[in-house]
Amino acid sequence: MPENVPCDFPAGYDGAAILDRLEQVLDPELDEPILDLGFVRSLRLRSGHANVALRLPTSWCAVNFAYMMADDVRRALLNVAGIRQVTVRLGDHCAAAEIEAAVNEARPFAEAFPGEGAGTLEALRLTFQRKGFLGRQERLLRELRDAGCSPEIICALRLGEVSVCDDKIMIRQVQSGTAQTLQRYLERRAELALDCSPAAALIVDLEGKMLSADQLLAHYEAVRTVRVAMEANGSFCRALLSLHRLDAHRGERDVQT
Amino acid sequence: MYKHDGHDLFVIDGHMHFWDANPENWKNKYGESWIRCFYAYHSSLSPADAVWPFEKFCRYGEEALVDDLFRNGYIDMAILNSTYLYEFYKNGFNSHAQNNVVKSKYPDRLLLCGSFDPREEAAGIDAFRRMVAEYPVTGLKLYTAEWRNGSRGWRLNDPWAYKYLTLAQELGIKNVHVHKGPTVYPLSADAFDVHDVDYAATDFPDLNFIVEHVGLPRLDDFCWIAAQESNVYAGLSVAMAFVHLRPRYFGEIMANLLFWLGPDKLCFGSDYAIWSPKWLIEKFMAFELPEDLKQEYHVDLTLENKRKILGENTARLYGIDIAAQTAKLSQDGIGLGR
Repeated sequence: MPENVPCDFPAGYDGAAILDRLEQVLDPELDEPILDLGFVRSLRLRSGHANVALRLPTSWCAVNFAYMMADDVRRALLNVAGIRQVTVRLGDHCAAAEIEAAVNEARPFAEAFPGEGAGTLEALRLTFQRKGFLGRQERLLRELRDAGCSPEIICALRLGEVSVCDDKIMIRQVQSGTAQTLQRYLERRAELALDCSPAAALIVDLEGKMLSADQLLAHYEAVRTVRVAMEANGSFCRALLSLHRLDAHRGERDVQT
Repeated sequence: MYKHDGHDLFVIDGHMHFWDANPENWKNKYGESWIRCFYAYHSSLSPADAVWPFEKFCRYGEEALVDDLFRNGYIDMAILNSTYLYEFYKNGFNSHAQNNVVKSKYPDRLLLCGSFDPREEAAGIDAFRRMVAEYPVTGLKLYTAEWRNGSRGWRLNDPWAYKYLTLAQELGIKNVHVHKGPTVYPLSADAFDVHDVDYAATDFPDLNFIVEHVGLPRLDDFCWIAAQESNVYAGLSVAMAFVHLRPRYFGEIMANLLFWLGPDKLCFGSDYAIWSPKWLIEKFMAFELPEDLKQEYHVDLTLENKRKILGENTARLYGIDIAAQTAKLSQDGIGLGR
């Protein structure tokens, strides 16, 4: 959580803009914000130069995903007014020096790591964006079902019929789930360039096709497994990250170093 | 044998190790990184009182193995993995020759897996034949992510892999365990992709493919394949470990596996010494699928299903008659000591 990240800003500087931007950076495989996962160790801003120290769960976290997160942090912070330079540090990661050099000089992954799945970084990102879309849709479907929406109603809904009131989803004046679940689903849907116009169906597959009420159950059974699979690495990461905390508590050296 | 309310449950550990990761055996920095990575999984997911010192974890030896599995860990029989890693360990991590040292002392309790590496191509065929002839190999453990001469891995549907699988079948081997699990530094995550299992399982319908670690974190890809292929089984090691730290999540994994594969295709494994069977089995037996998951997935983890998962399914794959084997084991050095 942001309040647990030690921040060192110039006197009088409001860091909210930085933290808002950082909140948008996700672990691409887990589809969760790196701030919530505890991957941001500290943050420092001086004279338009931001220094961000990351702490990944293990020193062997996949190099391609580590690069992606570091690069996403750099890009996110360069969008904050007044920040002209960003330096990202990866601590004791096995490829920290190479990743830091590449990211901080804005060199592409394929150039920095030839032979490490070169050129496939965007394909990898797309794979997990698609899984993330299904995972987010599963949460939405579950909330709609729990709110009493039948498969017929769910499949017939158009985006224009769905709105948000406070922190709730509103469908035909009825509260039907949490606004955040809907917003996360729609954000990813837009990122994947699927139709988001008011006339488009609320629930579509990865090709943008709407589903019939008969197809919805089988679709739901599949996306719920995607969501559970995505949570596997989150479970490993949190368990492994707890080792760092344990060691910090004991004041010992890091287990992985 | 696990005793539950007057019922005996025969337990086969489908996935365990007898490794040598002593510093003297490390060939380079990767030998150390590898075992430290294993140790991080061990120490982060085990109950606090089951965490070992790192030195013991590197080389625990035969006595500890027999105690932790057969004397204290409820295990009746166990399947020894062979994982070579000659690029990281001077004498290998746990080769079939090393494994056979302990197998030969407890022949009725241990099953031995051999292996092949298709990148040896024709040159490896004779050695493979010799291994099957000279060692009591009844299954194979394949490690598609293993490094070899600059290669970072191979796939089950590579042409030479098919030649080895054909030969294995001719030599009477029936069960093929394939490691598809979480990233282990320094191996590449891509090499654990599960889709090659689909091709091999279709093209070798008479072989059984046990996917160790159920492809985690690629559980979804694994489930689609296993639901379609009648000869694909789930090896539960690694997934089992969540029963302690994240029981709700463990329940979700089990619900999905029961939903897509059914109770007859799930096989217990501890991944010892990463985790120890004693606490895994005690917590698994005490675990009940949460009511909402039962209703959501229309499945249950009944005592009968637990019995299948802990031993019956693997016994069927390996042609073990549980009653006859129980009688036999009660007469060996360990059984008589009980």
